[in-house]
Amino acid sequence: MSEEYLLEIEDLHKQFNGNHVLSGINFTLKKGEIYAVVGGNGAGKSTLMKIITGLYKADSGEMEISGKRVRFANPNDAHKNGIYLVPQEPLVFPNMTIEENITMGLKGIGKPKELRKKILQVINRVGWSIDISRLGLTLSIAEQQLVEILRGLVREAQILILDEPTSTLTHNEIDSLFDTIRQLSDNGIGIIYITHRFSEIFELSHSVAVLRDGKISAQGPISEFSYKRLLDGLVPTNEQPSNNITQKKSVIQSSIEQIGATVLEIDSLCGNKFQDISFSLREGEILGIAGVVGAGRTELAEAICGIKKFNSGTIKLNGKRIKNLSIRKVMDLGLAYVPEDRHAHGIFNITSVRKNITSTILNRLNGLFIPITKENEITKKYVNDLKIKAEGTNQELSDLSGGNQQKVVLAKYLATEPKVIILDEPTRGIDASARADIYRIINQLKERGLAVLLISSDTEEIVELSDRVLVMQEGKINKEIEKEKLTVDNITSAAFGVKKDVIS
Amino acid sequence: MKSFLYKIIKVRELSILILMVAYFLFVGSINSQFTNSNTIVLLVNGSIILLVMAIGQSFVLLTANIDVSIGSIMGLSAAVCGTLLASGANLGVVVFSVICVGAVIGFVNGIGVSYLKIPAIIMTLGMLGVVRGLMLLYTKGMWIENIPNYYKKIARIEILSIPFPVWIGVFLVLIAYLFLTKTKFGRYFYAVGDNTDGAQLLGLPVNTVKVLAFILSGLSAAIAGLIFVMNIGFVSNQTGSGMELQVIAAAVLGGVALTGGMGSVIGAGLGAIFFTVINSSLVFMKIPAYWNSAISGLLLILIVVGDSRFQKYLKERSRQNQKNSLGENDREKQSKAIP
Amino acid sequence: MFLVGELIFFGLLTPGFLNIQNLLFSMNDFAYIGLAAIPMTFVIITGGIDVSVGSIMGLSSITVGVLWAGGLHIWIALIVALIVCTLAGLLNGLIVAFTDVQPLVVTLGTMFLFAGIALVISGGSSATGYEGISGFPNPFVQIANGITLGLPNSIWLILFFLLIFGALLHLTKYGRNVYLVGINMKAAKYSGIATKWIVMSTYMLAGLGGGISGIILTSYFSSARSDLGAQAILPVITAVVLGGTSILGGRGTVLGTVIASIVVGMMNYGLQLSGMTSEQTTIIVGVMLIVAVVMRRFNINYVKKWFIGNRSTTTKGS
Repeated sequence: MSEEYLLEIEDLHKQFNGNHVLSGINFTLKKGEIYAVVGGNGAGKSTLMKIITGLYKADSGEMEISGKRVRFANPNDAHKNGIYLVPQEPLVFPNMTIEENITMGLKGIGKPKELRKKILQVINRVGWSIDISRLGLTLSIAEQQLVEILRGLVREAQILILDEPTSTLTHNEIDSLFDTIRQLSDNGIGIIYITHRFSEIFELSHSVAVLRDGKISAQGPISEFSYKRLLDGLVPTNEQPSNNITQKKSVIQSSIEQIGATVLEIDSLCGNKFQDISFSLREGEILGIAGVVGAGRTELAEAICGIKKFNSGTIKLNGKRIKNLSIRKVMDLGLAYVPEDRHAHGIFNITSVRKNITSTILNRLNGLFIPITKENEITKKYVNDLKIKAEGTNQELSDLSGGNQQKVVLAKYLATEPKVIILDEPTRGIDASARADIYRIINQLKERGLAVLLISSDTEEIVELSDRVLVMQEGKINKEIEKEKLTVDNITSAAFGVKKDVIS
Repeated sequence: MKSFLYKIIKVRELSILILMVAYFLFVGSINSQFTNSNTIVLLVNGSIILLVMAIGQSFVLLTANIDVSIGSIMGLSAAVCGTLLASGANLGVVVFSVICVGAVIGFVNGIGVSYLKIPAIIMTLGMLGVVRGLMLLYTKGMWIENIPNYYKKIARIEILSIPFPVWIGVFLVLIAYLFLTKTKFGRYFYAVGDNTDGAQLLGLPVNTVKVLAFILSGLSAAIAGLIFVMNIGFVSNQTGSGMELQVIAAAVLGGVALTGGMGSVIGAGLGAIFFTVINSSLVFMKIPAYWNSAISGLLLILIVVGDSRFQKYLKERSRQNQKNSLGENDREKQSKAIP
Repeated sequence: MFLVGELIFFGLLTPGFLNIQNLLFSMNDFAYIGLAAIPMTFVIITGGIDVSVGSIMGLSSITVGVLWAGGLHIWIALIVALIVCTLAGLLNGLIVAFTDVQPLVVTLGTMFLFAGIALVISGGSSATGYEGISGFPNPFVQIANGITLGLPNSIWLILFFLLIFGALLHLTKYGRNVYLVGINMKAAKYSGIATKWIVMSTYMLAGLGGGISGIILTSYFSSARSDLGAQAILPVITAVVLGGTSILGGRGTVLGTVIASIVVGMMNYGLQLSGMTSEQTTIIVGVMLIVAVVMRRFNINYVKKWFIGNRSTTTKGS
């Protein structure tokens, strides 16, 4: 095999408990190449990366670094061979300075002074300005990512793996991260860039590999790829979402008549991370809120439903002003918020489906004791309605798939019988069929006359479902788009602000 | 301004020192005998057992674990030390055996916590019972009183008019401090407690660090046992019981966080001294001694709650600062983007 | 499971052990552990811990003693003591719920504080440390030492606690909320559950439990002392954890705690009957605690099933 490749992987296989997670992966990375890797959840991206970085061992297959055959037992081996992974959630030590964060765990390198010099050199080389005596806990997520990259560079990594680095960054931060990545590539470092955003692939990478079901379904220089070819690689051809369009049209027609009276009115609401927000929401309407991560959408939703406080402005629910009410009271008035972070704020993972679903309505059940039969009735109703796949209502949430967990979370808030429901990223991290189910549920809610506020970073999702869209940028409503003008391009350009418009 | 704030977060031991000096002055203003150097040496000497154990406990707390078995390890060590001395064993043999006892128990704790993944509080709680039982079996529930005089006299050796046990304490604090701050491996203790996943991913020997922390904790309890026999001169069958919670309280008082990754052995040492100072000061203020625990408990709560509020404030401040600086960056970039 | 195994084990070892009379009366010695451990189960299920309960026992004991010695009617003194202990629990709960100091640190502080207050009360009334206040009226002494319907009163008390707290934890909305808070505090908040109140109330229950436990001890020894129960905290936590409650929160049953309290108590008794000293039993209890947790970890699936089975029997039982 030739030495021009930094990394060469041949016929890699891996299975867990008899499931083939990776079957026959071939992959090469050249010096200075930015190689994008895309794939749905469970396609095997993270397993592949964990094998490359020594966290897992492959069942079979070869791996070569600069022409030398290697086999890693742990992350340290990978570091020694110049491979460094920047994880999706940076793992920074909060009580240590940036300098300590970078040097921690470094083996056999000279004196602290020389090390510091080296760090400063690396920082200079990539053109950042950052005070290395700051503590980890004061860093923004973007800065934490820089620290992770610095860790890799100080370890003289030749191959950097970035795992969905932009998923939690603001637009400006993404721009400067891309500059950095290009700079690193100019310096000859090979970069594996994991993402699920197509736009980033075309903007940044030289080559791309699409993973599906543990296999590479498409691979090659970016010039050979179009938007459509990427999509073909991701989705099996027989499952193309072509029927969506017809379905959507019928929804449009039926929806117009259904929109009823105004139920939620927000007037010049200001709070932490959002300013001067005004809009109204009517029965049977799906109002999408688009924008990039960090635009203040979740903060707005949390202020509306009483989790966070707001500074000024008014919220009227069914004509009644709500302010400083507990989450419970707001819920009882008919407004439910389905939180964005399913694991942290949504599910009770070590308990049953039943106890999850009724967690929001315990106070509405009569008497001191929990009426078990009533509880079971309610649970069964929602399990059937939402087609939650579980072995009975006593199954623990931790045994369900992500999509079914999300349905349980949805069920738990629907059980409060809300008039207005705020859905925050309702389909994040779930598979295609669960996604389709959730879309169907949302449309049913709308038909039943619920007012839905849909927050999503998935622009296609917003376009598909919404009757009207508000685009937020940096805490303000940047644009309102009516149904007729709803396109992915329109939303994207508004979400990224004026600057993008000027460029395009 | 920023760096000043960070320094305060870092130098938590300084605030406990200031607080302690203020307390000294306060009690001194009521009774001037309190601030005289003899009293101070006496107080420090009285806190040595607590102090030595607090050093070991700090290692465990830094890794975000806890060791509640040290009270009974100290008791067993003291018993082993006492019986060996009484049977006329050579001093070197005694010290070596006692240290082995502490290290082995600590090692077992460490294996349980790091490899068997037993929550530290459960593992060491179980060990507390086991070791306490072993001690009572070993001594048959009897007191050990016939400690040879030469050993008891060691406690009264004075170097520069400071008793020998205090030197042991000072020596141990310094060694531990230098190890934790100046060596690469020492920093691992902070890293493991600060962010275990991060430490794992960087390839740090997380499990080794945890085991070592428990060994050091056991060791320190053994040394405390040696000093106990030296200072007190007999070993009752209840020796060390209840000490574990005092040690943890002392370390917390000295700014070591139970959440791991924060604090220093100097802070823990000062905390141990402060804890003793509070207890002893009441006599000087002519308050009946039975107020001791009430006042130290109250102070502990006030300090810990105050500290948590203060930390929260600092974090909010630094977040504010960060937001401002971020805003500036954005503006810069936008102004760049326009031309 | 443990209990059955143990009964057989000791039954074989010492014929006298299975003498029902002996078994039941041995419970007097450790009933106070169970009485404190049952409400402590609630605290640990929410993911907290309360190490001040031992001190609360002393506080309860000395309060009853001093008030009674001061001329108050014994039953009124008892009620006042229970109120004081619940307030002590309230203080714990307030600090834990409204600051972000860890429960262990908070209750460590209040452990010293409450023990101190107990000492101050006892010192202020010049009750001598070791002998305490004695000479209580017979009805009070009978609380722990009496026999009703052929069973020692302490057994009735444990049964009563099992029913009341078992029902509270497993059948009521409050109990459900305790679990939900322990499994995921944030999700509970987002579900509109008053998380702070739930957390706070569990500490009040623990305080009340400590108070009752202290009164039983006082009645059992017929003497009020400020340091009663000072060593009780570790056996109490041991009983809770051994009973299957996860120290990380979210899992646990009242029945499990009761069984574990009895197991630990019987073990003491059984081992002593078979010629072991009480010192040796602490070793065995310690080892059992560690082994139980390790077994749970290795057999997670098996144990999960056992848990579900256990839970349903609890519901049926109460």
